[in-house]
Amino acid sequence: MIYKRSELGDNIGFTTIIDDKFKSSSLAVYFLTELSEETAAVNNLGITILTFSSRQYRTYASLCEKLSELYGAGLGSIARKKGDAQILGLKASWLDNKYAIDGEDICGEMRKLIHGCLFEPNVNGNAFDAESFNIVKKDLIDRIDGELNQKRSYAISKAAKTAFRGEPAECTGYGSREAALSATSENALKAYRELMKTAQIEIYYVSPREDNSFAEMFTESFGSIERAPKKVSIRNHSPLKPEPEHVSEEFDVNQCKMVLAFKTESDDKYALKMLSIIYGEMPFSKLFLNVREKLSLCYYCVSTSVSAKGTFFVDSGIERENIDKARNEIMAQLEEIKKGNITDEEIESSLMALDNAVLQIGDTASSYISWFFDCFSDGKLITPEEHFNEFKAVTKERIVQAANSLKLDTVYLMLDKEVQE
Amino acid sequence: MKKDILTSSRTGDSCIHIKHKSGLDIYICEMKGFSSIEAMFGTKYGSVNTMFKTAADKDYTTVPEGIAHFLEHKLFENEDCGVFELYARTGASGNAFTSFDKTCYLFSCSKNYEENLKILLDFVQKPYFTKENVDKEMGIIGQEIKMTNDNPEWRVFFNMLRGMYHAHPVKIDIAGTVESISHIDADLLYKCYDTFYNLNNMVLSIAGNISADKVLEICDSCLRPCADKGLETVFPDEPAEIVQAEIREKQPVGASIFNLGCKCTAKSGYERLKDMTAASIATSLLSDPALPMCERLLKEEVINSTFGGEVFYGDNYFTVIFSGESDEPEKIREALFAETDRLINEGINEKDFQRIKKSSYGMMVCELNNVEAVANLMLNAHIDGVKPYDAIEVLSEMTSNDVIDFMRREMRRDRCVLSIIEKEA
Repeated sequence: MIYKRSELGDNIGFTTIIDDKFKSSSLAVYFLTELSEETAAVNNLGITILTFSSRQYRTYASLCEKLSELYGAGLGSIARKKGDAQILGLKASWLDNKYAIDGEDICGEMRKLIHGCLFEPNVNGNAFDAESFNIVKKDLIDRIDGELNQKRSYAISKAAKTAFRGEPAECTGYGSREAALSATSENALKAYRELMKTAQIEIYYVSPREDNSFAEMFTESFGSIERAPKKVSIRNHSPLKPEPEHVSEEFDVNQCKMVLAFKTESDDKYALKMLSIIYGEMPFSKLFLNVREKLSLCYYCVSTSVSAKGTFFVDSGIERENIDKARNEIMAQLEEIKKGNITDEEIESSLMALDNAVLQIGDTASSYISWFFDCFSDGKLITPEEHFNEFKAVTKERIVQAANSLKLDTVYLMLDKEVQE
Repeated sequence: MKKDILTSSRTGDSCIHIKHKSGLDIYICEMKGFSSIEAMFGTKYGSVNTMFKTAADKDYTTVPEGIAHFLEHKLFENEDCGVFELYARTGASGNAFTSFDKTCYLFSCSKNYEENLKILLDFVQKPYFTKENVDKEMGIIGQEIKMTNDNPEWRVFFNMLRGMYHAHPVKIDIAGTVESISHIDADLLYKCYDTFYNLNNMVLSIAGNISADKVLEICDSCLRPCADKGLETVFPDEPAEIVQAEIREKQPVGASIFNLGCKCTAKSGYERLKDMTAASIATSLLSDPALPMCERLLKEEVINSTFGGEVFYGDNYFTVIFSGESDEPEKIREALFAETDRLINEGINEKDFQRIKKSSYGMMVCELNNVEAVANLMLNAHIDGVKPYDAIEVLSEMTSNDVIDFMRREMRRDRCVLSIIEKEA
């Protein structure tokens, strides 16, 4: 593997990864901007619409036709959050020219297509093309409405909204329904232009062969755009509420969901991750072995560490009558760790699992991109091996300390209606 | 021991197939440059196999719904310890799943694959079921069933199958129901295990950073030879007609969703692969946003970008399904019926056909980029009774007339079921 990173302009990073084992190439263009209720939806629309049409491909149909001609090349958008930042962008992947049956230059065609989508959008006057905008806007509103379809992720999202109230991370990475409804193609175009000017931009290109054509295209195209980048603050620990806040909602569901959000002031992200693995990320973790296997209370009971917000989530699906029992066991297992009841095997198993995961970075183009983007977001480029060494250096004491730093902040419950007394 | 090298003439990829002396079929793909290893040990035993006998049995045995899935859960417990505990010592990520026609045990790792393979082969061949450990699992699986019952995509799909199949067990939930699993006990689990977990009915697929010789050496030492028991699975007679054309259910969802399925004739092996390829191109054409029908439905806001099509098949069932979010799925049904008729009568535009073929080919080649996908490809091809690279070959030989022929033969209005999950008022 060959790794190269260069600055193409003011706060525009370009990372190339050459790995000849792949049969396809992948590109991701990330725009990092401040997350806010006012701009999240319109920012999302302003970027997503770029994947629906361009000046050359005026309709979604014509763009899709071209992509399928290029051996089913993929083009999609990104809209999510990381800490207090909104991450927007384009992602694309396509078959390497070597596999083109009729000798087509798939890569060259994709470069032109991506250039067109990103730098020559389908604009009429001061607005995006109305037809494309309507499709994208409906898609976004449907996505927001569809949140409730996935009960587990809905519950986690509602817990996060409560835990991060008053902070940027209170918003979703794709925006609220109200903001999406009031968005117009004019303000989506303004948002797109603003992002091209002010967002921090990171581009990742994974290819089986040496190829400078994308770097050259981006250098030239961004060169003609006036840039005034704004620094984005991703990592901000969320303050602990004076008292844990309890939120519950009732739906006609078969299974209740419980999400606990804990806050920490600790910056020891490696110890927090080790804690999360020992506590509840793996089938050898305490929550799996006790809440699921010993007490048979649930199918899943999992912890997740969101280090950018200094927050820790535990979520589970349970019977209403077992909520207290499950919660007590979740808290009891945390208490065990706080008291130092961690075995050498648990630490060793966590390291083994991390070692395996780290070694798998690079087996897919997306794992390369995630790795280098995470390094960028954390402000420190290290190798996966160095990353693993940081975990190896974590002592039992640091894990216990991390556990003792956790304080319960939010409890979200999705309750069933039928068994309500 | 018979060893074949299987090669794709289109991409140059190859893998090894071995008919092991133990009775097991083994597929190995050494993938240069990759770090990870994906191994899958599967049996041709899924939720649809509810009635069976071996040569030694006089009568067919009928088992409770959900037992294949229950067995999968229980096989993770050894007499001495849980299997996850063993994987925890090596760092592998172990898992398992049960589908309609198979149960698979798998691990993914980038170190210690030799040790992990030994663990996998050992625990799958060493069942340990007791009253206590069976009872303990009831609560866990009960919660899994309730979780999937709250999943609208799952509900809309099974409602469609119930509207489509009169008797075939594909219409039952893979995990069964809280009631059906209450009839499962250790003896029944052993009966199913002894019947289906015979190496002659199983397959091992392993891909990634491995040595084929090392894999075979481990297989030689860990596999316990099995006599072929003459397994017979039977399915109830299933009429070609559907049960009902429309099923609606209200659920707490934010977006209404639908499945529109078309019941088709079920074949097997290579003939099924040909039908599957034709059906796949037909669904791609009918859900292609580049073509006028979808373009119109998108503009009219009847569909959104979630609209798509797929082919769903297995032993004695074959269905073409369109799905997505919509408040007006009846309009989509009418549009699909009209467009199917138009294509059958007017033929498929050759340029569109070639474009869809290229697109399918591109996606198949890209799959070979991925260790997990390659392990899945080899295992699924074996269970489907074909070879791993047959799909690319069949695709390259497919003509637009083959697709029209499939549509004329199979995509009939009176065989379609529309299942809808609507928002609660």
